[in-house]
Amino acid sequence: MKSKIIQVAGLALTIAYAALIVWIYAVEPRTFKEVATSAELAAGTYQVNQEKFNSALDLFRREQFRAARDEWQRADPARGDARTQFYIAYSFYREGWGRVYYDQQLLKQGLEAVNQAIALASASPLTVDDPNLRMHTAAELKAELEQGTERSWSDVNPLKVLRTRK
Amino acid sequence: MTATDRSRNRALVDFVVLPMFFLTVALLGGLRVGAENRAFIFVAPPLVTLLLAVLLVLLLVRGRLIRFHQWVGTELPPLTNVAHIWMLLTLFFASAQAFNSVLPEGGLLHWLFSFFFLWTLWNNQFSSFDPRRLLRSLAILFGTAFVLKHMLLASLYSTEGGWLRRVAGTLLQGVSLGTLDAPTFAPATGYISFFTLTLYVAGLILLAFAGKDETDSVVHQVVEEYRQLPASDRLAVRDAILDDQPAPKIEVKNDPRIPTK
Repeated sequence: MKSKIIQVAGLALTIAYAALIVWIYAVEPRTFKEVATSAELAAGTYQVNQEKFNSALDLFRREQFRAARDEWQRADPARGDARTQFYIAYSFYREGWGRVYYDQQLLKQGLEAVNQAIALASASPLTVDDPNLRMHTAAELKAELEQGTERSWSDVNPLKVLRTRK
Repeated sequence: MTATDRSRNRALVDFVVLPMFFLTVALLGGLRVGAENRAFIFVAPPLVTLLLAVLLVLLLVRGRLIRFHQWVGTELPPLTNVAHIWMLLTLFFASAQAFNSVLPEGGLLHWLFSFFFLWTLWNNQFSSFDPRRLLRSLAILFGTAFVLKHMLLASLYSTEGGWLRRVAGTLLQGVSLGTLDAPTFAPATGYISFFTLTLYVAGLILLAFAGKDETDSVVHQVVEEYRQLPASDRLAVRDAILDDQPAPKIEVKNDPRIPTK
């Protein structure tokens, strides 16, 4: 009887261990800290560092976009928070936006971040209620970023300079 | 030690310790540590390591280190069969990852090492092995590969070290037109690989003792010793066994002097 208990316990324990190994190889964490963060993400207990998030928001409002992005990346190292990813994408948009010229590289990075935000908030459309922003949904931001990366005849329209940054 | 204790210890080794050992080998076999940033790099087992693992498991069966007839069979309870099959699965993946641990990650050296492993394992399929000799042979095989990859090659490709070492590494790369290029890892990778291989060999040693009855070991020892004898001696042993037949029964005929009941 005891032997049967050992068999069942052994099977359960080793199957759980095997699942953990498969998960580690799938996630490929680079440090022990990333292992912990990924585990939190998988368990649904992951939270961004609110202090760093607020400090990044402050930098963003002062138009220091690169510094803001750095801070947001530190606040959300696992890229697991939709709201933070939305703000990162927004900072790429604002930095890449120009009256006569769009920085394609930055807009592409912004598109990547907004796609990540949409993927993370797949259950419901992502909306950010920030009065300082002119676009509040990830869909709007994505459309704006996509427009910026596309080439068309409207690019040579001189009236383009009258457009405003959102 | 009572028979119950023995049975419990055996169950503990078979169903907990051995799968844990082999799964740890499966985890660490593909782990490398980056030279620059000391970050973990997980290398999934290349396809060739699965082929090598199949050959190795076949060899373990031929060398009687894995005893299918004792571990999986219709006369065993289903749970025991499932637990043993699971243990064999973990052994398979541990074998693949043990090869992954000692194979260079890319380039010509990867294929050279793979070829030598394949050649050795294929040749061994046709040799007669007993568990002890097989264990010794595998320990030497993995030990040699470890020394070549983690000591010799790692030292040649290391960015640190003296000028002579760097010149030798550069010459080797130049002569081979870059086909011998290999990524460099932190020294911790070698330590991880050493621990992995030690754990794997320790698992195989435990496996050799798992599910082995005392009577079984005596019988196998005698059979093994018999197999190592020259042909003439084997014949003599067989004759001796045949001579040792039970004496024929003596029929006692009814004797009129002995009164019957």
